[in-house]
Order: sequence, then structure tokens, then C-alpha cells
Amino acid sequence: MTKKGVKISLEKGLQNQIRDFFKKGLEKGVFDAVILPVRVPGKDSYAWILMNNAKLIDQANPVPPVMPVQGAKALKALTRKGNGIINVATIMRSCEIRAAIELSKLNQVNLEKITLVSYDCPGAVPMKGYNRIPEEMEKSFQNALAGKDFANDKMKEVCGICVDFANSPADLHFGFAGMENDGILFSNSDKGTAILDTLKMKCSEDDSQWKNSVNIIKEQKSKNRIEVYKSIQPEVEGLDNLQTTFAKCIGCHNCQSVCPICYCRQCYFDSSASKQTADYLQDKAKNRGGIGFPRDKIMFQVGRMAHMSLSCVSCGQCMDACPVDIPVAKIFSYVAAKTQDTFEYHAGTTADGAVPLKVYKQDELNKIHELIKNAEPQGSQHE
Amino acid sequence: MSDWQPKILAILCNWCSYAGADLAGVSRLQYPPNIRVVRIPCSGRVDPLFIMKAFQTGYDGVLVSGCHPGDCHYLSGNYFARRKFAVIKPLMEFIGLEPDRLQFSWVSAGEGERFSEVVTKVTKDIQKIGPITKMVKGV
Repeated sequence: MTKKGVKISLEKGLQNQIRDFFKKGLEKGVFDAVILPVRVPGKDSYAWILMNNAKLIDQANPVPPVMPVQGAKALKALTRKGNGIINVATIMRSCEIRAAIELSKLNQVNLEKITLVSYDCPGAVPMKGYNRIPEEMEKSFQNALAGKDFANDKMKEVCGICVDFANSPADLHFGFAGMENDGILFSNSDKGTAILDTLKMKCSEDDSQWKNSVNIIKEQKSKNRIEVYKSIQPEVEGLDNLQTTFAKCIGCHNCQSVCPICYCRQCYFDSSASKQTADYLQDKAKNRGGIGFPRDKIMFQVGRMAHMSLSCVSCGQCMDACPVDIPVAKIFSYVAAKTQDTFEYHAGTTADGAVPLKVYKQDELNKIHELIKNAEPQGSQHE
Repeated sequence: MSDWQPKILAILCNWCSYAGADLAGVSRLQYPPNIRVVRIPCSGRVDPLFIMKAFQTGYDGVLVSGCHPGDCHYLSGNYFARRKFAVIKPLMEFIGLEPDRLQFSWVSAGEGERFSEVVTKVTKDIQKIGPITKMVKGV
């Protein structure tokens, strides 16, 4: 199905084009404020800023090379307690949009007055590499963006296996993959269409060329994905391997605090309920021949897998934040693929619907039915 | 090891399976003494973490039992429980626990006999798998 979009020229560069779009939007009043990433004074990171004047927009960098704070967390901070009276627009990477969509399904973000805009994401540079040599990284990212290079190895590892880099249910999307000097801006929702109408932007351009190139890149990325899953499997599957991989974990719980999906006010593993008495631990150590500290390294990860893997968008923030370089994001991506497949669910890719654990059908999951039947004594008469 | 007996945590819903277990008791039906019962309001209350925690603490098996689909006291709790089971199974495979250590069943309040059959069957299954070493020996 082909869609019509607005043809945009990329001569001035994508960043400028996006800035212009937001300025025009503010001018015409389609939204009253925008949230954009602005480079911090120290020049080694970016911060989300809520702003409403054109001068500030000029200082913003709508497509930053790094993702220090997952955009969904910024939206969560803004709308956790409901909407304000103004309309706010923001531009984010696909994974940030998808996380925001998941959070809205979990009632943690209210998207009613938020306009989401996304773009073909070339990936994000890992924060650890960026803050050491920001200028170099900045340059290489801008080159990747201008050269439409979607398989740059300077990006995060999970970006290399991201098949949704151009696929999110954002209201508006800037596409430019595989197009020469132009880009295409199209709408995915009624809200988006209304905005394009008010701004008098004509949808004349066909999106088939863009779509084709996205599909080609997607295919390559899904191949990489299978390779990466294959390589990670022997490292993490089975408890022994998992323990080897997480042996160096320092229990800082950074992976949880940067995760956009982990929204609980207090995690069980940070609560006093998970702490044990000296007697209990000494007894355990005696039975097992020894126990390690900090406690619950694996249980913490298994708990997180059970609680959030169904909504995991593989943004890679956990891996970025890990001080001891455990490939957390790859492991979660691998597990999330398994658990989401059970429900044929793909986190954040559709704006409507609910998360799998909030809905049910009366007749479903026949495999599980089989399992339940297996647990039943043979010749059981009940039906 | 020949006298090893499995320890099984039975998480039973208050309205059906727990009453079923009660009926098995008052009917003086025999079943293996390997289960330790936890009564919960609804099988939908079972968090995947409860089950993992049980294995970590050293239980050899976990049995979760609720009302039959459609008979839930809270109308739909057991359907949600079924969805949660579907998440736990791939996770158990992932961490390398035998999936059969975790078993589910639907037992209603009138099925005392069935409860004793289920417990017998589950105990036998877990006896076959043997004691849990993976979660326990580790760090």
C-alpha cells in the first residue's frame, strides 16, 4: 500500500529541515511547545528541553548522535500525572517512540496532547565512546546521517540489529533512506494528517521508493539479527552460562533505572522485602558451600525479563549504562524476541491495542492448553 | 539418594483448587505428602517472580492450580494467569530449567478426587526429573 507524503528538500540538511518544520508549527499554532534535544554546555552530551521560542529551536539538535536519556522517559516525566493544557510536539528515534507507545499502553504516559515525530534512524553512538571524543563522534554521526549509512559500526550494537529503525507509529515521519536529495514527510495518524493540512503541506510524493530502500536495509538488519542471536545464545542460555556472563555484575541496577519500560516506583529488588537476615544467608552459604555478594544478580535479571521483556523495544540503554560492559541489551533483545513471539506481539509497533498481559482471549495459547492437559492425570473426565 | 523426596510448592487459588484440596482432605483421599500449599486469592495473582523465587529457594517443583477457564471467581483471573504461564515457559527454557518442573492444572472446588490425582501425577513427574541443582548450587 503506497502512501502520499510531503516532498522535502534536504539541501539545507535534515537538521535544518526539521527545525524549520517545528518553527512553522509553533508559528501556526499547531502545537504550543516542543521538546527537543539540546547539546549541553560541556559539549559532551544532550539534554531534552521543553521550549516554545524559535531562537531556542535554532540551538537544538533534533537528531542527536547519542541517546543519553531515552525520550520516552522525558515524556513520562512530563505527562505521568496527566496532560497539561498545551499541545507539545517532539521528535525522537524509533525506539524512543515505541517505548512511549508501550508506556502509554501501561498508563504511564499520556499521548493525547503529544505529537510524536520520528525519522529514519541511522542508530545512536554509545554514550561511553561519545563522551570521550565528542567532536570526532559528532562528525562521524553527521557523516552517517548525510550519507544515509544505516549500518555504521560506530553505532550501538543493538542499532545494527534494529529492524524498526524506520518503523514506528509516530504521528509524522521524516523518511530519507535511499533517496537522493529529497526526503519525504508523511503522516501515520489522523493527528499527523491534520497537522499537515493546517500547515498547508501538500502530500504529492509517492513513498514507494523510500519504502523499497527501507525494506532492503531491513532485510540486511534482520540477517544480522539472526547472526547476533546465534552468537549470543551459547554465552547466555542455561543458568551456568548466565552466571558466567553476570559474574562481573556489580549490582548497581543502572540497567533498570535507565530502562524506559521499567516504570515501577519501587522495584522489588530494591525493596527491603528482598533483603535477608544474616542467619538466613549464613545458613544458605553453609548448605551451598558459599554464596556471592551482591545477592540476586541473576534473579534480578530474570525478574526484569519476566516483568518487562514483553514491552522491551531493544533501545540498548541498559547496555550503555552498564559500567562493567555486560551485553545486557543483546540478552534482553534475545529474550524479548522469544517472549513477544509467544503472543505474536511486537512491542510499540502499533499505536492501538494493549500489552499482552492486559488482555486475553477465551480460546488461545493452545500450546499452553496442551501443557495443562499434560499436567492432568490421564483419563480425567472433566470437560 | 534413593530416599530423596521432592519438595513441591503448590500455589492454589482460594475459590477452586484450595477448596478442592480441602474436599480431598475431608473425603480422606490419599495423595503424596510432598506439596506445601500456599493459598492465594486467584491464580491471576501469581507473578512469574514467585515461581522463580520458589526454585531459587530450593523447591524441586511448582504446581499452580486455579479454577477452570470460564469458572473464575473474578471472571477472568485465570485467563490472565494463562497468559503469564506463557511468559514463564520460554524464560525457564532460557535459564535452563526443565520446563516440567512447573506444572499447571485447573481443579474446581468439587474435584477432590481430581486434586489427589493431579498431586500424584505431578509428584511422580518431578521425582523422575530429580532434585533441583541448577538454581541451588549456584552463586
